[in-house]
Amino acid sequence: MITRGSQRGKMLKPTAQGRVGHFMLAGIALLTLTLLLSVIIPLIVQGAPWLNLAFVFRRPQELGSGGVGPEIVNTVVMVGITQFISLPLALLNAIYRVEYDHGSQFARWFDPGLQILLSLPTMIIGLIVVDVAIAHWHWPVSVGSGIVALSIINWPFSIALMVQVLRQIPDSWREASWALGASRWQTIIRLILPVAGADIIEQTGVAVARLMGETAALIYTAGLNVGKKFSLTAPGETLAVHLWYVRTEGLTAHADQEAAATGLVLLILVLMVLWGSQKMAQWMKA
Amino acid sequence: MLKIDKAMDQVTYVSMALFAAIWIVLIAIIVSGAWHFVQTHGFVSSVASFQWDPLQSHFGIGSFIVGSITVTLLALVLAIPGSLALGVLGSRILQGKWQQQFVRFLTVFVSVPSVLYGWWGLTVVVPGIRRLSHTSGYGPLSASIVLALMIVPTFSILSLNALRHVPESYIEGSIGLGASEDQTLWHIILPAARPRIVQAALIAVARGLGETIAVQMVIGGQVRITSLLHPASTLTTQLLTDLPLLPVGVPGHHVLDFMALWLLILMTVIVWLQYRLRGSGT
Repeated sequence: MITRGSQRGKMLKPTAQGRVGHFMLAGIALLTLTLLLSVIIPLIVQGAPWLNLAFVFRRPQELGSGGVGPEIVNTVVMVGITQFISLPLALLNAIYRVEYDHGSQFARWFDPGLQILLSLPTMIIGLIVVDVAIAHWHWPVSVGSGIVALSIINWPFSIALMVQVLRQIPDSWREASWALGASRWQTIIRLILPVAGADIIEQTGVAVARLMGETAALIYTAGLNVGKKFSLTAPGETLAVHLWYVRTEGLTAHADQEAAATGLVLLILVLMVLWGSQKMAQWMKA
Repeated sequence: MLKIDKAMDQVTYVSMALFAAIWIVLIAIIVSGAWHFVQTHGFVSSVASFQWDPLQSHFGIGSFIVGSITVTLLALVLAIPGSLALGVLGSRILQGKWQQQFVRFLTVFVSVPSVLYGWWGLTVVVPGIRRLSHTSGYGPLSASIVLALMIVPTFSILSLNALRHVPESYIEGSIGLGASEDQTLWHIILPAARPRIVQAALIAVARGLGETIAVQMVIGGQVRITSLLHPASTLTTQLLTDLPLLPVGVPGHHVLDFMALWLLILMTVIVWLQYRLRGSGT
């Protein structure tokens, strides 16, 4: 292996002959990494000059040169309310799956079913919400409808994340707790949740980051423009939808820069969420 | 048992019942819509037909199914070398602390919103293809390049984990018998990790097949697939573009449910394959 070079004094020097394949693979890997970085670098190059406080705080305007202030508010509030609705439910579901149900008939159906729901295109959820909430119940194309769509999308995703977190706790800890006379729910409240707390926060960060980038399901449920003031019944364009709209349909002179700057704001928000949740988890573990 | 225990048991049961009930209703909506469509337009005649003209009530979705499968498989083929190389780099070449940092770095790219990959496709890939092929640049080829790069982070993290699961004793045994590092990699590590890598590939395929926005931005949106370099559509992108054209109540609206059902069926097949292939190898 390549890094053994640093330990040459201690070990026999491996022949370079037998490692040509490793070098080639490392080359391909570096090329792929460069490609991945090439997604972000043009975004910074095009978006950064356009990015200033006015852009972040002002309202969008029909003729361009507006800001994305309301879009940021919509993104944050919609994702926040969505987590508030779906995270507790998902946690209860995961508790049922991990702590209560051990390989019954139900679990045999639940696991593959969850897998299917996880990979379901979010566009389908958008279609259903339009079919039922907007066409049938006559809800407006609004923040509220968007939150419904996001909650449905996030529910199975959060369950999968929480199941993964709860499974990491060794069974012997639970058995020890039961052996000391704790009931099942006392074990969950006093042992499982405190131990899992940091990981739950970190994984919630992942779920939040995913929802912030959601576009397809929100175009027809939350809409392509913003209301005069934030409200649940006003149209609620998010940052990701704004980027999509400006870049594909935008007619203004600076559509490209505006899209890049919007993308940069979105990326910074996503990275902030990931970084923040990781730091918080580390702080809780310490 | 304590009283609170009994109550909380009920709460978890109810949460599970709610989850199951809501999803059964949602899927029933899709299935019933698709059933309406099949009754009026026929199953085989709409799947095998490539003619899409809602105004003349021709609802052939064959072109979209072909488009979805072509784009996804091409993306997988493009993503395999890079992802495996990243997996090998992260699990067998980098050591110790570097491995963790490497995984963390890739995880960030998993969370990059797909609309940003679509933006990259429009800004970098489409102009590039346009210059090379003298076409518009929009088409399944551009879409699969974007999709390939989008699934690389997921795919490489999963194959990295697959490679890590190969027992150290296999590797030591191979080296001990005099095989070089390369020979060990090709003949021992990769074959031993194959079942998990196949599973990783299927998860990547599911992500690619369900991707809507990044594909829609670069595929061009023509309803008939002709070649890799000319605009086409997939099931998901056609759902996105036709939802406002076929609103609820219009006779053709239920074709959208039919297309959604097709996506559901394809996803079910992928998940079924994952379970089948997992059983066969350890």
